[in-house]
Amino acid sequence: MDVLKQLLGRLHPLVVHLPIGFIMLGLLLQAYDRKKKEYNAVLSLIYLWAGISASLACLTGYLQYLGEGYAFDTVKWHLWSGIATALFSFLMYAQLKGIQAVDFLSKLPMVGWSVFFFILVSFTGHQGGNITHGEDYLIKPLPNSIKSALGFDTFEEKEISLNETNWQEALIYEDVIKPILNNKCVSCHNPKKAKGELLLNSEEGILKGGESGAVIEASKASESELFTRLVLPMDNDDHMPPEGKSQPSKEEIQLVRAWIDAGSPFEKTIAESSLDKALFLSFFPQKADFDYPDIEIPAASEEHIKTIEKTGVHVDPISKSSNFLSVSCINQAAFSDTDFEALLPIKEQVSRLDLGHTKITDAAFSKLAELPNLTILLLDHTAITGKDLHLLAPLKHLKSINLTGTALKPEHLEALNEFKNLQRLYLFGTEATPESVKLNNPKISIDYGNYQLPPIPSDTIVY
Amino acid sequence: MKDQIERLIQEQLAREAQEKTRRHFIKSCAQGLGGLALSSIFMGCDPLTKQPKKSTTTFSERDLNPLATLPPHYGPKVKSVIYLHMAGAPSQLEMFDYKPKLHSLDGQDCPQSLLAGKKFAFIKGTPKLMGPQAEFKQEGDSGNWVSNFMPHFKKVVDDVAFLKAVHTDQFNHGPAQLFMHTGSARLGRPSIGAWATYGLGSENQNLPGFVVLTSGGNTPDAGKSVWGSGFLPSVYQGVQCRSKGDPVLYLEDPEGISRDLKKSTIDAITKINKEEYAKYADPEILARINQYEMAYRMQIAVPEVMNINNEPEHIKEMYGVEPGKESFANNCLLARKLVEDGVRFVQLFDWGWDSHGVVRSGSIDKGLRNKCTQIDRPITALIMDLKQRGLLDDTLIVWGGEFGRTPMQENRGNKKMPFKGRDHHGDAFTMWMAGGGIKKGASHGQTDDIGFSGIEGRVSVHDVHATILHLLGFDHEEFTYEFQGRPFRLTDVEGNIIKEILS
Repeated sequence: MDVLKQLLGRLHPLVVHLPIGFIMLGLLLQAYDRKKKEYNAVLSLIYLWAGISASLACLTGYLQYLGEGYAFDTVKWHLWSGIATALFSFLMYAQLKGIQAVDFLSKLPMVGWSVFFFILVSFTGHQGGNITHGEDYLIKPLPNSIKSALGFDTFEEKEISLNETNWQEALIYEDVIKPILNNKCVSCHNPKKAKGELLLNSEEGILKGGESGAVIEASKASESELFTRLVLPMDNDDHMPPEGKSQPSKEEIQLVRAWIDAGSPFEKTIAESSLDKALFLSFFPQKADFDYPDIEIPAASEEHIKTIEKTGVHVDPISKSSNFLSVSCINQAAFSDTDFEALLPIKEQVSRLDLGHTKITDAAFSKLAELPNLTILLLDHTAITGKDLHLLAPLKHLKSINLTGTALKPEHLEALNEFKNLQRLYLFGTEATPESVKLNNPKISIDYGNYQLPPIPSDTIVY
Repeated sequence: MKDQIERLIQEQLAREAQEKTRRHFIKSCAQGLGGLALSSIFMGCDPLTKQPKKSTTTFSERDLNPLATLPPHYGPKVKSVIYLHMAGAPSQLEMFDYKPKLHSLDGQDCPQSLLAGKKFAFIKGTPKLMGPQAEFKQEGDSGNWVSNFMPHFKKVVDDVAFLKAVHTDQFNHGPAQLFMHTGSARLGRPSIGAWATYGLGSENQNLPGFVVLTSGGNTPDAGKSVWGSGFLPSVYQGVQCRSKGDPVLYLEDPEGISRDLKKSTIDAITKINKEEYAKYADPEILARINQYEMAYRMQIAVPEVMNINNEPEHIKEMYGVEPGKESFANNCLLARKLVEDGVRFVQLFDWGWDSHGVVRSGSIDKGLRNKCTQIDRPITALIMDLKQRGLLDDTLIVWGGEFGRTPMQENRGNKKMPFKGRDHHGDAFTMWMAGGGIKKGASHGQTDDIGFSGIEGRVSVHDVHATILHLLGFDHEEFTYEFQGRPFRLTDVEGNIIKEILS
């Protein structure tokens, strides 16, 4: 039975659209029919349906209120106005049917009642929307200027901008702690809302504390609620910010802790508070740490990947958060130029391609040129001579080519002068030597290999 | 609390399901234990419909092949790791951590303030400080210090990043090795290599994902647990290969069994297993089928990759290999070959670094120097060889011991020792890393004037682990395995990535 109750309750957001639809239809038809009054029979029927469906909506709404644990305060306006809407639908029905008992309605012209009905149903619907989506749902997308003109709170995310040069001079409260509190706490703990009678938007507010007393115990983060509540388990009622609100990162929590432990200074710089640099590192601008192209691409279809993997070729995402693929023929030494067709469905995603020790030849280059995001290319220990290497020049992401142990002809390497982004080239075990390679592309660092470790006397001395 | 209990129950059920076949289950029902098992059936029901959950007949690739590759959390810097462990703990003071001040203090009593509250394995009373027994020079463009015990290594010094102030909380070999390789000084945790293969799988489906090679005449004090799988499925443990004799014990077919016969045997077993699977749909059966077939493929692939004779002469000379023997040089060359063939984690242990000064081979000025000669050329060659093949971009090399050695000369039993030696010391020792994502020529951390403690850039064993996992593409805090009702990490609840040595 409980299951049924809950299920019906959850149907409320669906059911409510029926009475709204009926009432709107009725009101529109009334407006259209205001002169001739030809449609009264239809109108009464519409309002009857509206009344029945609105009653159903009230019932499911009540079940939802019971089942989902809303506070009565949250739902009371919606609840009463919903019931009013249902009742008024029946009144309109009765009036149109000419039932005596509702004669009192005739004291006002029908237009007035229609307008009232329209306002009532809009108000009810809006209240319902507020419960589901939050009161600021419609306000949020507005620009701040309009929001404040309308009398709503404006909330701005503040950014922590620290870097290698300014971190020591930055003010610990103003530049670090305040933005954290602002972004994660102040939306509830501000002068307008002041949940728990606590204000976290100012120094005074923080020092004053809230209804349960001070939030900072001098220099003792482990006894200060401003810190301890952040690290309570999520399902603890005292956890802050409450479940569903955006949570501070673990680095931010550590900073709050370190700040309180350092005596919660409001005026000092980071250096003066003698806090460890490590605490702030994650707020420094992060340099791009991803070796592959910095662009968004769609994911390859699972089906294509599976088809390719069936041939013994490895296809793996570079990482869980990337759609780029690493393709390797490590288990498929028989891979040859004709097998390339299979890779074409994922050509956009292939960014690392290992064709080492396979049977490919120079014919492969025209196919390789079709992989726009190719970044790392391994062609080692193959029969290629590099004849068509120039075809890869348009691949703007290509960073590294491994040609070790190939039948490479050094003269073909001249094509690399046109490569825009190539950084590493491996030529060990080929005919290429520093003398035979004529390249003037300063970006490319070439490794010719052939490193030697000639014997030295100490090799054979035993002490 | 409730959550924890639920997780414990879930784990227990998962484990039972893995171990017990349906036949076991029916049997145990009949024996009256059914009630317990029955509750597990209802727990597997959807509470809304009271219907058993639809049995899944499609399994992930992982169910069928535990070594199937998986992507890491974020863009990895390396695909493979070669971990060179000098078992016994090499003396940082004779290799990389140059302490000129210690020269002038040679022979003086160690100040009591340093000894107060410290535990040593053998040092008793007031030991005397002992100056560096090697000569140091700044080498390469980086100007990092390298001793004359490592004359070849200076050629690659600009490729490595030193950690000069690593510390551990263990001062005996076994626990310290366990800590260094499993993140815990107690038994039972998976080794780094096991974590890596569990998290990433292995590309080459004909070779194990985690290979262990030992040299120096002995295996590490902590035993095979340093490459064990702990609570991870045992398929992720290291496979010990030998450079002398059969590379993998019992991998060869017995005499009189031809490869064809072997094949038909495996085919027959597979057929039975498939029938079994058709009846019970247990994915473990499919994993088993896969393992049989992999072992069969390994019979060809392993001897091939483990054969260093096919390497060209100049490469063999560069490493200084001794074919047919068990040597660190052979193992270094093998490590390159294995990584080249897509093995995820190669773990080398070289035994014989415990220079207490009791015997000549364990002395700081003689035995240690010989050990250095044994690794100097091979390690240098390994870095050069990986570099010229472009493999160093994809590989991380880690070098270190389980701890370091004291600036004081060992005085076992409060007596003068026959040779110069140093005792175990966990407060500060040197490790280095090289390869993809590593800042070339970096040196992080500094020890005090006598090399007793780190005074700047101290890093812990957990930090080293966090850094290795980071380079493999893992967030070490997110990379967990559910065991005994809670998620476990390699880095426990600690570990910071050592950003100073990352490029």
